[in-house]
This record gives sequence, C-alpha cells and structure tokens, in this order.
Amino acid sequence: MNGFAALAPLLFLVGGAILVLLLGTRRNGGTNSVQAAVSIAAIAAAGFSAARLWGRAVRAFGGQLRFDEAALFMTFLFLLAAAMAVLLGMRYLVRHAMPRGEYYGLLLLAACGLVIMTATINLLIVFLGLEVFSVSAYALSGLNRRDDRSAEAAAKYFLIGSFASAFVIFGLALLFGTRGSLDVHQLALPETGGSSALALTGLALVVSGLAFKIALVPFHMYQPDVYEGAPTPVAAFFAAAPKAAGFLVLLRILVPHFQTGIRNEAIIEFLSAVAVATMILGNFAALRQRNLKRILAYSSIAHAGYMLIAVISGDPAGLLFYLANYLFMGVGAFAAVIALGGPGREILDLDEFAGVGRRYPWIGGIFTVLLLSMAGFPPTGGFLAKFYVFSTAVRAGHLGLAIVGVLTSLVSVYYYLRIVRIMFMKEPERELDVDTENPAVYLVLFLCLYAVLQLGLFPGNIITLIRQATASL
Amino acid sequence: MTLALVFLIFGLLGAVMVSMNALLGPKKTNPVKEQPFECGSPPLQKGIPGFVIKFPLVVFLFVLFDIEVAFLFPWALIFREMKGPAFLILLAYAAVLAAGFVYAWRKGAFRWD
Repeated sequence: MNGFAALAPLLFLVGGAILVLLLGTRRNGGTNSVQAAVSIAAIAAAGFSAARLWGRAVRAFGGQLRFDEAALFMTFLFLLAAAMAVLLGMRYLVRHAMPRGEYYGLLLLAACGLVIMTATINLLIVFLGLEVFSVSAYALSGLNRRDDRSAEAAAKYFLIGSFASAFVIFGLALLFGTRGSLDVHQLALPETGGSSALALTGLALVVSGLAFKIALVPFHMYQPDVYEGAPTPVAAFFAAAPKAAGFLVLLRILVPHFQTGIRNEAIIEFLSAVAVATMILGNFAALRQRNLKRILAYSSIAHAGYMLIAVISGDPAGLLFYLANYLFMGVGAFAAVIALGGPGREILDLDEFAGVGRRYPWIGGIFTVLLLSMAGFPPTGGFLAKFYVFSTAVRAGHLGLAIVGVLTSLVSVYYYLRIVRIMFMKEPERELDVDTENPAVYLVLFLCLYAVLQLGLFPGNIITLIRQATASL
Repeated sequence: MTLALVFLIFGLLGAVMVSMNALLGPKKTNPVKEQPFECGSPPLQKGIPGFVIKFPLVVFLFVLFDIEVAFLFPWALIFREMKGPAFLILLAYAAVLAAGFVYAWRKGAFRWD
C-alpha cells in the first residue's frame, strides 16, 4: 500500500477535478461557490496527504514516481498557487461570464501535471507531467472565449508550447540513444567515446524545452502575450507554478553534472549567457510597457533570470527560497490587478490607475509592499531572496552575474515604483468603477502580504524546510 | 516449374470463381447498386457542400474514446497474473472514462441539431 500513499496527492487532485467538471454540467448556474469549495477541499486533501509523505521517501510504480522532500516542497507551492487561483477566480469568472467547472477542473489537472513533473527523476515521466500541465494550460489561457485576446493567447501558447514539447522529446531521444537511460543520475556518468557531442545536443534540447516553460530569454516571447490575453487568475497561476516546476527539473538535471564536473564549463557558460540576457531584456522591456499585465509578465521573465543565477552557482536552497517568495509576490500582484478590476471590465492601462491607491488604501498599500518586495527592498522576502542568490553567486565565483543582477534590479526599481507613484501621487482624470465585493481576493492579498513579510523578517522555519528539501536532491 | 504450376492452378481457380458467379448468380440490379461506392456521399455533385460543424466534435470524441480502449489490450495481457488488483484498476480507469462520457453528454456534445 506504500504505492497508494504516494499516489494519494495525485488521486485527490484528479478526483476533485472530475467531480468539479461534472458539477459544472448541472443546469442551475448557482453552484460556483460549491465548485470552489470542492476544489479547495481537493487541494487541501492533496496537501494533507503530501504532508504525511514528508521524510518517508515514498515511491510508487517501481520508483518512477518518488516524493522526495524537494518534490514535496514544490507540491506545497503548486497547491498553494492553485488554491489562491481558485479563490481569485471565484468572482472573476462570474464577472466575465466564463465557464466555471472547466476553470476549476483544469486548474486542478494543471497542478497535478506539475506535481508529476517534479516528483520523478526519470525524464520521460517529467515529459508526461509537462504534457498534462501544458494541455490544461492551453485550454485555461483560452477560457475567456468571448475575448479575442484570450483566444490569441491560447493559440500562441499552444503553438510555442508544442514546439517546446517537440524540443524536449527530440532531446530525450538523443539522450536515450547515447546513454541508454533517462534517469537523471545515469545522464551524468563519465563520457566515453564519440557520443559525447550527441548527448550534449540532447541535453541542450531538453534544457531549451524547459527554458520555454520557464520563459528564459531566447524563448520568452510568448509570455507577455499569454499573460495579457489569459484570464488574470490563470495568469497568476502561470506566473509562479510552471516556472517553479521547470526550475526544479533543471536543477535535477544539472546538479549531477556540477558534481561530476563533466562538460561543466560549457553548461555554465551557456546558462550564464542566458541568465544575463534574461535579466537585461526582461527588465528593460518592462520599462516601456503601459499595460500592467505586460509589466508583470516582463518582471516575471526578469525574476526567472535571477533564479537562473541560483541554478548556475549550484545553490538549490537559494533557488527554492526565491521560488517560494516569487510565488507570493507574483500571485499577489495579479490578485491586486483583479481586486482593482471593474464589473465586466479589467483596468489594465497604467494611467487609469491614477489615484487608486488613495481611494482604496488597503489594496494600494498591499500592492505597494508586493512591488517593493519584487524590487528587493529590505523588510520583505524579495530582498532576502535576492541577497541569498547574489551572495552565493559571489562566493561561487560568478561575480559578473551578481553585478549584472544587482544593476538590473536597480533598473527594475524604476518601473515598480512608477506604478506606486501613479497609484498614490497622480490626480485621477475620472472615477474608476471598481468592484469591491470580492472577499476571496482580499483573503489572497492578505495571505500574500503576510507571507512576503514573514519570509522577509522571520524566514527561519521555511529555511529549515528548504534545507531538508535540498538534502534530498 | 512448381511455381508456374501454382500460378496456373490458382489462376484457373480464380478465373472459374469469377466467371461462375457471373454465369450462375442471380442478376437483380438497380441504379443505386450500379454507382461506385463513395463512403455514403453521392459520387457526382456540383461543388463541395458545407459539412456540419458538429462533425469534427464527434470525430474528436470518437478518437479520444477509441484510443483509450486501445489501452485495454495490454491490460488483458497482464490480467492473468494480477487478477484482482488488475480488475480494480480497470474499474477505476473505466470510471474516469465514464465521467468523461457523462461530461460530454451533459455538455450536449452528442446533440446533432
């Protein structure tokens, strides 16, 4: 029965998804809160069963599905992101007349795919999880069928995502052909003979495919369009969860390489170039945007660049801490966008936010704290995360990367604080019609505020958890 | 030599079978029967008529459930060894399929008009 214990988190998620989908087909439309409650219950049950697996290294399916502590830590992040996305969606779906059962169901399935992706060391299972997530994600981003931009986002995401999947599967074929296994520990065995170049090509293709999902720079171009077009609660989920999964898989692939030192230089040089390009392009492109969702999209690209520094300097703890922080900053920022939305219409243009902070001081204040955290100001978690990443990079000898990181963070302060300035210091041209009857969104906002401050001021508990998680890698 | 004989015998046999049918079989013909078979659509028509947009949905569902049934073949192979647990696993699998079917039904995917 050991195997079923390992399956329990996935079973709860899938069971909840099916139940919610079937509930969504009932004719009386008033079941929104019931569906949300069922989704939250499924997520809570999955979280509880995942918590029971902590420290037991449980495996299923002959070791193919293995919940080590790193996978469990990520599972908690995904479940938190999914739960917050459910809460964010409750009012938003009604406001925009979107299908509800499908939203909650697909969200749970997407979370399930991400859990599969992280809870394995076999790259083929990673691919399986990636596809479970991706197929749900394509449908989620096109869920607002009346909106042309939502359809555009879905089409773009689908096409680019299919390319990424093809990259991964081709890379896997090359790796399997040269190494005879897709186990990450087998991939880093010492090279013999002439298959080395082929294996490296395979590795590069797999990493490129993951870079699509994380949105690192040469592969980032779909991200702003998808964030802009997709329904905002979906964008909130995308901002944090798939990036976290992609980074953990990247870490699992690269850590054995860093330990054995084979092809180390080539990999580090390649990743350093990507990290520098990601930080510079993400931050400078965000300067020119007027649409709030696009700013947040470019900012999430930039943050992926900082997180990549943690991967390069071989610092799993710093990466996980950054990911945990970014989960709350990213979801919280999108929650603020939803909280400031009007009935039937979202407010996205920067100029329209003039004076909002003074009319709605709580929303504006929390949004400000989250933006300061993203920029890396001291009392918040964002500062500590960046501090850990950059200081480890310096200690690992990547001084140049740390300098680029700090400088681009300074650039990012400008566009984060510009939002704050417009919210609080600019006179509004006309009154905004904001829908304030939105308690679930306020809950998410306060949760994010609490988490960002907790992680910034008293990070001790979570760092203990992260230490245990990274020890299992 | 034997090869030539084989060809001769089976060639003759084939010729006999074809001609016997034409000689002895009943001949009841009608215009529809004389037409070339074209999967249910008329062989000659002006232009291409628009096809019902519901059709791709039905095809999509058919392909989905058809592929899922294909997974029963490997299941049947290991059923001999696993017996009870395998049956339970199949029931769970069928339940997921049934849920998908109910979902498509309730959403009106099978309604043609």
